[in-house]
This record gives sequence, structure tokens and C-alpha cells, in this order.
Amino acid sequence: MSNPLGTILLYIDGSESSITAAQFAISMAKSYGSALRVIYVVNENLLSELLKAKVFVQMEKMDYERDLEEDGKRYLNYIVKLAGRKGLNVDTVLRKGVVHEEVAHEADGCAADILVQGELGEVLSLRDSFYEEGERILRKVKCPVLVVRGRDRIERMFEDL
Amino acid sequence: MKLTDYIEPEHIILNLEGTDKREVIEELVEHMSEHCDRCDADTIFEAVLKRERDGSTGLEKGVAIPHAKCDAVDRLRIVVGVSKKGVDFEAQDGQPSHLFFLMIAPTNESGPHVQAIAKIVKMIKVPGFREKLLKADRPEKIIDAMERVENGEE
Repeated sequence: MSNPLGTILLYIDGSESSITAAQFAISMAKSYGSALRVIYVVNENLLSELLKAKVFVQMEKMDYERDLEEDGKRYLNYIVKLAGRKGLNVDTVLRKGVVHEEVAHEADGCAADILVQGELGEVLSLRDSFYEEGERILRKVKCPVLVVRGRDRIERMFEDL
Repeated sequence: MKLTDYIEPEHIILNLEGTDKREVIEELVEHMSEHCDRCDADTIFEAVLKRERDGSTGLEKGVAIPHAKCDAVDRLRIVVGVSKKGVDFEAQDGQPSHLFFLMIAPTNESGPHVQAIAKIVKMIKVPGFREKLLKADRPEKIIDAMERVENGEE
């Protein structure tokens, strides 16, 4: 029987909860001998919406886009180092676009067996659910999704790994 | 990110006195400098004015979101101001602006800045939200109104 968790796709957004998700995904990959792939998406859609609403001007949008791309590289490098500390190699993917669509596309493309992501927004109203990326990803991807909660416990587990 | 984590009652001005765009920005920036640690008013003021020269941040329906990135702050800082009489902020609809959200972030912290601006844009579309802020007689009422929208209670 092939490994049911052969490929794990981890979605990060730089939040604390996505770091917790990373710790859990690294632990899983180590335990199950899985390949771990990490994705960060520059939320180009949000920037475009702010441009359309005339909150941003074009130059400013491009400036923020560059900043967010640099943030993404920094977050991905951090996960590479985090995994490296546990002797695990990871592949990284940096995309731009509509976050949930890019994550779903990547999950299909790499034939992910599971997607791991951090806790959904602390406050989740019906209205917010239309905007909350974690929620949208949950609804969009075709593979199983693991939403990671319990930072303290996972941090201890990660340290003991 | 939760917007109200960044706003304390002392970050709110209920009665802005400025009568034009420059005066209002000055008032908001001074207030930020007085009530937030490590905020240099002159640098922030110049950054906001520079951004306004690229295009006004006065939106529709009496709301303006003057914002800028500069290293005169150590993290995202927000000041909310209310002008009862309204100010010509060169708004998109040509109407006077009454609600001001000054948002300043350091140059290396764009993520939370973008999210915070997007949240304000969403909030001001919630029916009755702007009216509540305009009527507030205490800063706590403004925070409460924002919190209620963030919690999905409105």
C-alpha cells in the first residue's frame, strides 16, 4: 500500500498560527516519511481590490506587492530552516494571485495527499467567512485538509522531535 | 489580525478641530505622536502628505484612510478621528469627510498594514457602522462598534 501521506502541502501566511501549522506538518512529515511542500501566496487579489476602491494608487500597489513578495520569501526561508533543524528538506513555492485558488491549484499540481494550514481566523462571522482565506481554502481544495490548533502542545511536541 | 487590538481609547479623537485637509492630517499625526511610543510626528506628517500628493485617500460617504509606510513607527499604528462638521479631503464623491483612520506602518511590516486597511474598507460598508462612529460620545463606543463588526455581531 502506498503512503497515504506521501505528499503534505503546507500553506503559510506568516501568522503565528501558520508557524504552528508548520511545526505540525514537519512533525507529520518526519513521522510518516512524507515529502513536504510549503506554499505562500502574495494576495494580489486583495491589493487589486484596494486599488479598485482607490485606497491605493498604482505605484503604491506595486510597492506593497514587492513588500509582500519579500515577506513571503522570508517566511518560506524560515520554514526551510525550521525543517532543517529536524533534518527534513522541504520544497517551497511562492505564488501571486487569488490565495485560495493558487493553493488549490498547487494541491492539485503536486497531488497533495493532505493540506495542512493554521487555525482559521480567531473571529469568524458569516460576513468574515467570505473574506477569510483559511475558510476559502478549506472549501476550495479537493484533498483532505488538516486545520492545526493547540499552539502550546504542538510547540512542545516539535521541540521533542 | 484583529483591528481593535491596535486601537485604544486614547487613539481616538472625537472632535477634530482642523478645518482643512492639512490641518486634519497634522492633528491626527500629532495625536499619534503623543499617544504612541516611538512615533516621530514630522517624519509621519511628511510621509502622509507625500502619499496624499499621489492621490487623495478620501473615499466615499465621508470616510478617509490617510496612510503611509515609514520607519518613524515601530509597528502598525492607528488613530481614529471624527469631524462633526466635515472637512474637504478631496474625496472621491466630492463630499466632506467625517471619519478618518490614520494608519502608519513601518516599511518592513506591509502584511498587517494591508490587512488593516482592507478591514476598514469592509467595515465602512456595514450598514449603520459609520453613523455609530459619528454619534459616539466616548472613544469606547467607537471601539465597541468596531469590535461588534469584527465579531460579526452587526
